[in-house]
Amino acid sequence: MAHLCLFSLLVLSLVLETQALTPTHHLTTTDVARLQAVLSQPFTDLKSAYYSVVGLSKLGISVADAAETCRFIKSNLDPSSVESLFFAAEASQALPGCEIPVSNDTRDLLLATVSEDSTASQIHQSVSALSSLGLPLASQEVVSALKARISKEDNVLTIILALQTASRLSQQAELGEILEEIEDLAARLDDLGGVYLQFEEGLEATALFVSAAYALSDHVDMEPPLKEDQVIQLVNSIFSKKSWDSLSEAFSVASAAESLSNNRFHVPVIVSAQGPAAISHSQPFLRLQVTNVLCKPLSSASVLVESATATSSKSAILSQAPFTLRDGVFELNFMASQPASGYYQFSVAIAGDSRFVANHVELKVKVSTRVSINNMDLSVVDKDQSIGPKTTRVEYPAKAKASFMADSHQIFAMTFQLVDETTGVELTPHQTFVRLHNQKTGQEVVFVAEPDSKNLYKFELDTTERKTEFDSISGTYALYLMVGDATLENPILWNVADVVLKFLDEEAPSTIQAKTLYTPKPEIQHLFREPEKKPPTVVSNAFTALVLSPFLLLLILWFKLGANISNFTLSPSTVLFHIGHAAMLGLMYVYWTHLNMFQTLKYLAIIGSFTFLAGNRMLAQKAVKSTSSGLYT
Amino acid sequence: MSNSVISVISRFLEEYASSTPNKLKVIDAYLLYIMMTGALQFLYCLLVGTFPFNSFLSGFISCVGSFILAVCLRIQINPQNKGEFLSISPERAFADFLFAHTVLHLVVINFIG
Repeated sequence: MAHLCLFSLLVLSLVLETQALTPTHHLTTTDVARLQAVLSQPFTDLKSAYYSVVGLSKLGISVADAAETCRFIKSNLDPSSVESLFFAAEASQALPGCEIPVSNDTRDLLLATVSEDSTASQIHQSVSALSSLGLPLASQEVVSALKARISKEDNVLTIILALQTASRLSQQAELGEILEEIEDLAARLDDLGGVYLQFEEGLEATALFVSAAYALSDHVDMEPPLKEDQVIQLVNSIFSKKSWDSLSEAFSVASAAESLSNNRFHVPVIVSAQGPAAISHSQPFLRLQVTNVLCKPLSSASVLVESATATSSKSAILSQAPFTLRDGVFELNFMASQPASGYYQFSVAIAGDSRFVANHVELKVKVSTRVSINNMDLSVVDKDQSIGPKTTRVEYPAKAKASFMADSHQIFAMTFQLVDETTGVELTPHQTFVRLHNQKTGQEVVFVAEPDSKNLYKFELDTTERKTEFDSISGTYALYLMVGDATLENPILWNVADVVLKFLDEEAPSTIQAKTLYTPKPEIQHLFREPEKKPPTVVSNAFTALVLSPFLLLLILWFKLGANISNFTLSPSTVLFHIGHAAMLGLMYVYWTHLNMFQTLKYLAIIGSFTFLAGNRMLAQKAVKSTSSGLYT
Repeated sequence: MSNSVISVISRFLEEYASSTPNKLKVIDAYLLYIMMTGALQFLYCLLVGTFPFNSFLSGFISCVGSFILAVCLRIQINPQNKGEFLSISPERAFADFLFAHTVLHLVVINFIG
């Protein structure tokens, strides 16, 4: 039992290890362009200006008109509001050559906001504004204020803001406790199906968490306690939404993307094939795009095929083959290894930077080829084999000049080979059909051509065997060969020849009926249960008489024995008894004809009790008489 | 062999005719009648078929039941058995016979259909 547990645990761990996650959702170049468009919208107030300017800077894009934006910021700045100062300070930091004038009052206001009584958002805004404006701040005070805030308000957004704030403080401050919050916060993420990891507060909170966690980790140069799988799940959650409800959401996604591309510890790698992962002779290169989450190609990466195995035969074609980088795309000439057509499982590894996450990818690659038909031989063979077959060879895509005749004594046969056009290797595609089409009636019959052990395709048509499929309709049929497969680039529909078939017992050629599925069906006649066969009345009557006859015998016997009713006394009880008894017998007859059990029982009770009393009297009198007369010894 | 059987039967019949009281002979005649009725019903069923089966069953059971009740009456009335039925007088036996028959006929008529 213990061995079994241990073994199953080992197997389970192996399985879990081998199934490393790869991102299922990522931003494509169009998505990044859309994100940029959302952030480039003309801004209406300072808040939207902040989101746009800082968001675009995170995407690595500079604002169109920096001077105009700077003027806008300065004009909308409200020096008495901490929030306004924060937006202005951050936005001006992202714009080149934009300086916000700072007065002593501003500085005092900002410093005063750093206390336990302000909300975490206010502390964050004032600290960020102070650091962006280049003003000195007391890091230790901030840390204690943050810690007090966290202990008072334990929600996710507060802690995220605390993390963001801590990343702006000096490195000498004691940020250890705040750093631990990353791990606690990561534990509060919801795992959805093993694919997504997000906060129940939503996408924005998750994205802000990612950017805050990495900002702080970079600042203190300590790896965040997030496992590779968790990072990938966060990538899935944040980048699964491709259109954003609000500017703040778009901003959070942009900052998360930036931190995942540029932090010092984890850089998720997105690998996607350019176009379909299909290779053929005309297109021998397998092209892969290897990018970070912002769709920027990772030129420092080196991409390697660890193994390429055929899915059908499980034989390894390639091992440890490198991709070459060309124009930002990694390509590999797979056709150079001369693979047979089919599907291949590629295991690709991306190396080059220890920060890469999800750098082992499994890809399914299809190798297609062109098929050509060789040695198409058509013949009509006599069933008794007396006359040798006349074989006609037809070359694709021509059609046989003469049409073939086959009646009930002959078999029409077709053999051919399907080979790969370039290599000449024999192929067995999934679909090899022979279609016979009667031009006059529109009838179509399809057969499958099967390959034999030497991969030679054979098709035989015996008119007597197959007459049900043809409905015994003789005539000229056009013969088509259809060849198709997922790995074939040139599926074939070839009118090979015309075949004239003659069937025996030809029925009148009826037009093909539409399927009689929805017409009324023949009516079902219900057969009621037939009454049982009764014997003829004569027999029944005869037997009734026969059965009643022993009664006569009884009367005769009794007469002979001298049974009599001489002792019949006419006392009232006797008379009444006999009347009652007769009534009971009459009731039986009436029960048989008219009554049911309940009514009978009712009447029986009445008559019975009356008879009982009378009978009792009568028998008692009889008993007295018999004992007194000494009739019984 | 057959000789002895015939002699036994003839002896039995003699004994029967002489030593059996009349009352019992009356009941015996009745028993014979019931038996014949039942036998004829069974013969009909064998020959013609069991339709209607419930009627056949009720008729046959009626004969069988009546036979049994008559046998009981005969046993109880027989003066030679008086010692075993001290508490049951012949009149009482007859009353029981009538009551049992009422029940039997009720059931038979119910089933005869």
